[in-house]
Amino acid sequence: MSNVRMDAKGFRDYLNQEKVRWCPGCGNHGILRTMTKAFADLDLNPSKVAVISGIGCSSRLPYYLNTYGFHTLHGRAPTVATGLKLARPDLSVWVVTGDGDCLAIGGNHFIHLARRNLDINVVIFNNAIYGLTKGQASPTTAAHTITKSTPYGVEEPTLNPLSLAISAGASFVARTIDTHLDHMQEVFRAAYQHPGTSIIEVLVNCIIFNDGVYDDLENQATFPDTVIALSSERGLIFGKDSNRALCFDPYLNASACTQAECDPTEWQAMIQQHYDSSQKQWALAMSTLDPEHLPTAIGVLYQNKNAVHSSHINHQPQSEEPFDLQALLNGQSKS
Amino acid sequence: MALKITDACTNCGKCAPECPNDAIEELDDICVIDPNLCQECQGVYDQPRCAEVCPVNCCVPLKV
Repeated sequence: MSNVRMDAKGFRDYLNQEKVRWCPGCGNHGILRTMTKAFADLDLNPSKVAVISGIGCSSRLPYYLNTYGFHTLHGRAPTVATGLKLARPDLSVWVVTGDGDCLAIGGNHFIHLARRNLDINVVIFNNAIYGLTKGQASPTTAAHTITKSTPYGVEEPTLNPLSLAISAGASFVARTIDTHLDHMQEVFRAAYQHPGTSIIEVLVNCIIFNDGVYDDLENQATFPDTVIALSSERGLIFGKDSNRALCFDPYLNASACTQAECDPTEWQAMIQQHYDSSQKQWALAMSTLDPEHLPTAIGVLYQNKNAVHSSHINHQPQSEEPFDLQALLNGQSKS
Repeated sequence: MALKITDACTNCGKCAPECPNDAIEELDDICVIDPNLCQECQGVYDQPRCAEVCPVNCCVPLKV
């Protein structure tokens, strides 16, 4: 890719001339566009950006970008990204991966990426199906879903990528939706600005093999009641007329209540208690809200700005003695 | 009466094959509606088809 530009003015400068081969109507188109818009908005130098992917529909994304990129082995994008970030800390490293690539075959690498907390931005395209292999159940496919590999419905509990990331030690965890493009761009910007590993789950509609899986969240008419956008500037309010709120008991079990059910002083107190994304337990509770009865939380769920990130690895003292590889292989090395 | 596609378009290509009048052209990074061909699907669909299938709701009336 010797033709990577050194400068860019708009999102078009981050796209190359490759024909985008995703199904018409696929949510991935929105992520590609929003990612390039976010790069343009952040004024990134395309030759200082590397986008690493594994295998899957999502992982085709680097093909279409006019930045550096690497389409790696299945599930191994985090490992390649880790090596790249250690060798070239000046690059902005992004990992694009899917629910199968990241959470099934690549689950092990994913948790260690979160644990090491290098400055890498991970975008998980969660369409809750294996799309590239034509419709088998993935770790995030909802229970009872009929797929080609589960003709009687999925019987296993689903894996929650954000709870896993928070538990594994990621210092920035966010969720967004493929059709809410402005929100997604804000999340990408916040992830870029965060100094440690940023995990972003994007809920994507697979229009062919799992169409409508996030319909309630994407539909303009229903999303006010099914989505709660977290912000440090407002309380946990949602609903068409902002008349519903999330409440937590002392054990952080969530429930929803309406304004009519609360007395006015209680309601005012709830509105004024803004979401605090620095609280890990709260973030864990937010990431696991039951979608059948409660809204899905989007936005920045967790951010620990004080987390120690591994940039100090690049400032480790170097040995003054010349390194002799042959001596090391012969077992003659002192260290 | 016609529709237009705003710059929120992600060029996903869902609308063009659905248009009964072939009024939508896919350019390099955005789709455009030819206002001379668009009839807002009158007589074919109840609602303008492109607006119905667009995942990001960027097909809007040309004149509001």
